[in-house]
Amino acid sequence: MLAELGNFSLIMALMVAILLSVYPMWGAYKGHQKMMAMAKPLAIGMFLFTAFAYFCLTYAFVHDDFSVAYVANTSNSTLPIYYKYTAVWGGHEGSFLLWTLILCVWTLAVALFSKAIPVKVLARVLAILGMVGIGFYLFMLLTSNPFDRLLPFYPIDGKDLNPLLQDFGMIIHPPMLYMGYVGFSVAFAFAIAALISGQLDSTWARWSRPWTLAAWSFLTVGVALGSWWAYYELGWGGWWFWDPSENAAFMPWIIGTALVHSLAVTEKRKVFKSWTVFLAIAAFSLSLLGTFLIRSGVLVSVHSFASDPSRGLFILGLLVVIIGGSLFLYALRASQIKSNGRYGLVSREVFLMGNNIFLTAATLVVLLGTLLPLVHKELGMGSISIGAPFFDQMFTYLIVPFVLLLGVGPLSRWKNQSLQALSKQIMIALGLSLSAGLLVNAGFEQSTYMADLGLVMSFWVIITTVMEVRQRIEPQVTAGKYSIWQSLQKLTPSHWGMVLGHLGFAVTLIGITLVSAYNTERNVRMAEGDSVNLQGYEFVFKGISQLQGPNYSADVAHVDVYQNSQLVSTLKAEKRFYPVQRNVMTEAGIDSGFSRDLFVALGEQLKNGDWSLRIYVKPFINWIWAGAFIMAIGGVFSISDKRYRMGSLARNASSAKENPKNLMEQTS
Amino acid sequence: MKKFMIFLLPLLVFLGLLAFLYQGLFSDPREHESTLLEQSMPKFVLPDLMETQKTYSQEIFEGKVTLLNVWGVWCVTCAVELPYLQQLKEDGKHIVGLYYDQDIDPDFGIKTVARVQQEVKEKLAQLGNPYAFNIFDVKRDLSLDLGVTGAPETFLIDQTGKIRLHHIGDINPRVWNTKFAPIYNKLVAN
Repeated sequence: MLAELGNFSLIMALMVAILLSVYPMWGAYKGHQKMMAMAKPLAIGMFLFTAFAYFCLTYAFVHDDFSVAYVANTSNSTLPIYYKYTAVWGGHEGSFLLWTLILCVWTLAVALFSKAIPVKVLARVLAILGMVGIGFYLFMLLTSNPFDRLLPFYPIDGKDLNPLLQDFGMIIHPPMLYMGYVGFSVAFAFAIAALISGQLDSTWARWSRPWTLAAWSFLTVGVALGSWWAYYELGWGGWWFWDPSENAAFMPWIIGTALVHSLAVTEKRKVFKSWTVFLAIAAFSLSLLGTFLIRSGVLVSVHSFASDPSRGLFILGLLVVIIGGSLFLYALRASQIKSNGRYGLVSREVFLMGNNIFLTAATLVVLLGTLLPLVHKELGMGSISIGAPFFDQMFTYLIVPFVLLLGVGPLSRWKNQSLQALSKQIMIALGLSLSAGLLVNAGFEQSTYMADLGLVMSFWVIITTVMEVRQRIEPQVTAGKYSIWQSLQKLTPSHWGMVLGHLGFAVTLIGITLVSAYNTERNVRMAEGDSVNLQGYEFVFKGISQLQGPNYSADVAHVDVYQNSQLVSTLKAEKRFYPVQRNVMTEAGIDSGFSRDLFVALGEQLKNGDWSLRIYVKPFINWIWAGAFIMAIGGVFSISDKRYRMGSLARNASSAKENPKNLMEQTS
Repeated sequence: MKKFMIFLLPLLVFLGLLAFLYQGLFSDPREHESTLLEQSMPKFVLPDLMETQKTYSQEIFEGKVTLLNVWGVWCVTCAVELPYLQQLKEDGKHIVGLYYDQDIDPDFGIKTVARVQQEVKEKLAQLGNPYAFNIFDVKRDLSLDLGVTGAPETFLIDQTGKIRLHHIGDINPRVWNTKFAPIYNKLVAN
């Protein structure tokens, strides 16, 4: 019964979405206040209906209603209760419902927290989000309804959730990732609203900046969680595989990073306007393209074999309408935009533009690498596969100039920077980072040149970031106005956001460099009591015990790790057998530390009773994800800047058209 | 106008991409062209499965249009296609088996050749024997040279010993009529 109510609720949500996309837009066109005012209640209504549908599906999971096809396919009565809640997004249909719910959450948030934004703009933005919603609801109701029943013949028990997804990382990874993906729809909606109205001044950049930062922060965490999950759950010891699904999440992230920076330039300096609009469209378009690539089965991924082309065709139709429509509008309107700021050849604007170009190039590399096999084959040129070596090499080329600019950008001034003063700072920073990087790397046995390069780049980012903060507070401190501590406190939250973002990037870079260069692994055959040495750690195999989990049975290998005859850690590596799905899963035993991870994965039992084990020592791998979290925190700091909260400032900004000088004074 | 064209560029690129995505929807991403097409059979010297003292080399394919079928008793889909291959044989097609065994490998435990022969005999007695003879790919290196990704796979080899078609998956009437028959008939007509 509740499943039918859920289905009905989805249909109602579709109706509300249609109303939301028509009335406020019409009202904004006609200047009709009442119609524009309908945007907010309609946004709330869309959220409530979708949330109720989501509740109904969750209820079906918790109460093991296997007459619902989706529940029968992704759950089982023995599944632990907490996984029943998360199994809701464990398959195609349910994850799309979550995706749509998150769209409603963003729409609701925009409706509630945008008091400072003119009614007309808000009406247009919400109407565009409603239009995106229509597409998603139709897709769900027509091709992948999570509430389809298996009546009258339904199974007694379900097929169970894929064991790979029965894991803590999977509980939080998809919602975070979707918050990021779908969050870019808000930036997209602001950009389209600005294109429709033709008012592409810097105000739209200011309005959409906190939303974009929020989406970017979520996506950062989402991608990092996905990488972390792959690391400890798949048991291969890797943290990034350049798989199409990873690339699909990585592309919007890179473009989102470019967008966050470009928005700052557009807001502060009123230049790069058409470029920023393009990035806003591109970020959401790449999110949608990623959805298409993963859910339609055009690329080889684990589940592509049985996917049905009607779903792919529908999403392709959505892409045509949303991406094609917005790019068409962009072509019509962007040519009329005039950027009225001026800047010299050596200025922060130019450095930021340079970084934007490198980020875009990186996105194109990922896009090409992901799609080239498809294009190549459809052109009749035969099958090719593009793997990690291609991406690794291209990113190594791109990252060097990128990091160089990343350091120089914040040190230089807007408009015009004296080359002499800048080059002096660059020389100091370069000297410091060269010596720091080479010195640290010399501490490793058998140091490599790639590690030298990576560490020097990381220290370059850290040192230039510190120099920038010092440069910022120096005048006040030398004038004796404030102490160092006081002047640090006077820096704006959005400035701290930039500092954290860049430091987080450096931390991630250190992690990537060291784990790529100094990762050690051994595949060994061990009998009880055997030991093996790796990087000064002694791994002793204590034996195997049996374990009975709620819906699996497992062999557990106990491994003691000694360093200088001191017990460092006892690791438990499991090999689980899930009887319902007839699947074997490796659950690696990991001891995470500040400077290294000890990682043991249990393999097969060999004929003579020995076991094969895979043992890794991974230096500084946690820094990869720690850096991502620091970046995300940086995003949160930027959002918390008072600038975005004060209605009066926003109103000033919108009236700044008459008085551009006024705005310059406020933001500089 | 020139400026307009620049801003139109993203749309054009997107539309171009769209064409490929659309095509991609209707083709199986797993299917791929063999790099061996129009190439001669790789060199090999391998024993007959049943009489291991007798050996074959790539020259046996010359003079006759041959279907080389990679199979094994452990492969479920191979068992499904055996009856249809039997029919093809009765229609006068020359079919040679390339026997691929998983179990002759120190890592998996060693199986005697006699045991393998016994299994094959039982299987063929049960489902029909379409093969003129079976080449035993002892160390599976011919399969590797041929780019075999799994069983069953079938190669169509012409009179000069060149590979003309590489099919992954089972052969059934539909696959035969759409994929094999046009090329096969042309080759035989020559």
